[in-house]
Amino acid sequence: MTTLLLVLIIVLAVCTVTGPDLLHGVIAMSAISLLSALLFFILQAPDVAITEAAVGAGVSTVIFVWALRHTSRRDDEGKD
Amino acid sequence: MVDRLLLLILFLIGFLTIVAKRNMIKKIFGLNIINAAVVILFVLEGSRIGMDAPISNGEPQQFVDPLPQALMLTAIVIGVCITALSLALAVHLYRIGGTFDIDKVKERLHDGL
Amino acid sequence: MKARIDFRSILALVAILAVLLPILATDTPWPTEPRDYLAEHAEDETGAKNIVSAIYLGYRVFDTMGETIVLLVAVLGTIGILTKVESLVGDTQQTIGIVSAFSLSAEKRRSNRLRTHLLEVVTGKVGPIVLLFGFYVMLYGHLSPGGGFQGGVIIASGIVFLALGNQRGETSHLSNSEKLVHIETIAFLLLVIVSSSGLITGSPFFGNPLDHTAVPVGYIVVLNAVIGLKVGTSMGFLCIAMMGGTD
Repeated sequence: MTTLLLVLIIVLAVCTVTGPDLLHGVIAMSAISLLSALLFFILQAPDVAITEAAVGAGVSTVIFVWALRHTSRRDDEGKD
Repeated sequence: MVDRLLLLILFLIGFLTIVAKRNMIKKIFGLNIINAAVVILFVLEGSRIGMDAPISNGEPQQFVDPLPQALMLTAIVIGVCITALSLALAVHLYRIGGTFDIDKVKERLHDGL
Repeated sequence: MKARIDFRSILALVAILAVLLPILATDTPWPTEPRDYLAEHAEDETGAKNIVSAIYLGYRVFDTMGETIVLLVAVLGTIGILTKVESLVGDTQQTIGIVSAFSLSAEKRRSNRLRTHLLEVVTGKVGPIVLLFGFYVMLYGHLSPGGGFQGGVIIASGIVFLALGNQRGETSHLSNSEKLVHIETIAFLLLVIVSSSGLITGSPFFGNPLDHTAVPVGYIVVLNAVIGLKVGTSMGFLCIAMMGGTD
């Protein structure tokens, strides 16, 4: 079970860093936090699971969305 | 054993993102991925020696090692502080340079100053 | 896809692999002495049933104090850089227009196509429930999973909900930036006072003043509450200031 969750986290991490839209990357980071909170629950660490879920889905996603809102959303790296 | 090698791959993905991508937000994604990989590694290692959660209820039991969990609580909160500060710096550089691309911002700073 | 895969990045990758692979590929057994000692003595020495709380508030409480200082420095730095952002763009009217485009108060919002009534109603009603849950998690940290940090970040999420859910311009007192800063400074002062209260009875700094009375666990409850308030109001203030503030 932990191996399956780790493989899913790696797939989501690759999806985060290779994509032209930064907002999709932010949502993938939030999904990585959710899966690692589930992983901490399976590994019998309830305190770390509560902290990771609240921090990853709450505070971290809010400040990423703030940064993208005040600036641009696209990553035009391979185009010029 | 397989889990630790998977975590090594996750760490290398984050590290390669910081080094090789030009967009500043992608570099900050890489920082977060490295943070997540190290936290999962410590909690995984600590959970190998027991079977229950570390809440004592009077009778002797074999629970998991609580010491890595206590250290990782502090590490998670400090990770989000680092993300907030680096995002403020990235937005500041965007206002100066007009783009998130770090090579173009460096060129414009050299031209302007 | 990747922009700069050149010789130096490959060299750095190989160097990190050469350092980390021998550590992670071997199968050394994890030591069990800390777990055995804590299983026998943690509840007697600190009085808390949650061993993780006993560690970060009893045995390693200096790490917790350092972490609150790091939070303080991070919030100071972020707010300092944010206010400097506003003064770099030359035209102040344009700056005010940019910064408050996503503002929380209803009058200054430029584009409210996505801020429908649904968001305000739902978050305004759910906010107090999340705050109550945060206080519960914070105060029961010594008996069940929870504690200062966990309750603090849940309180921060509750504050963000309350700030998003103002209808018809009535803002909650908890989403006012000045009141959050006041609560945070009072919490930090209380942390210093509670930590030096052990000096009166002869224990060292961060020693437990209630150690030989009936309830030695009261010290842990008070420390949990103070740390939870500090962490919660810090992160709530950070999020609200980034969203444009409520004034």
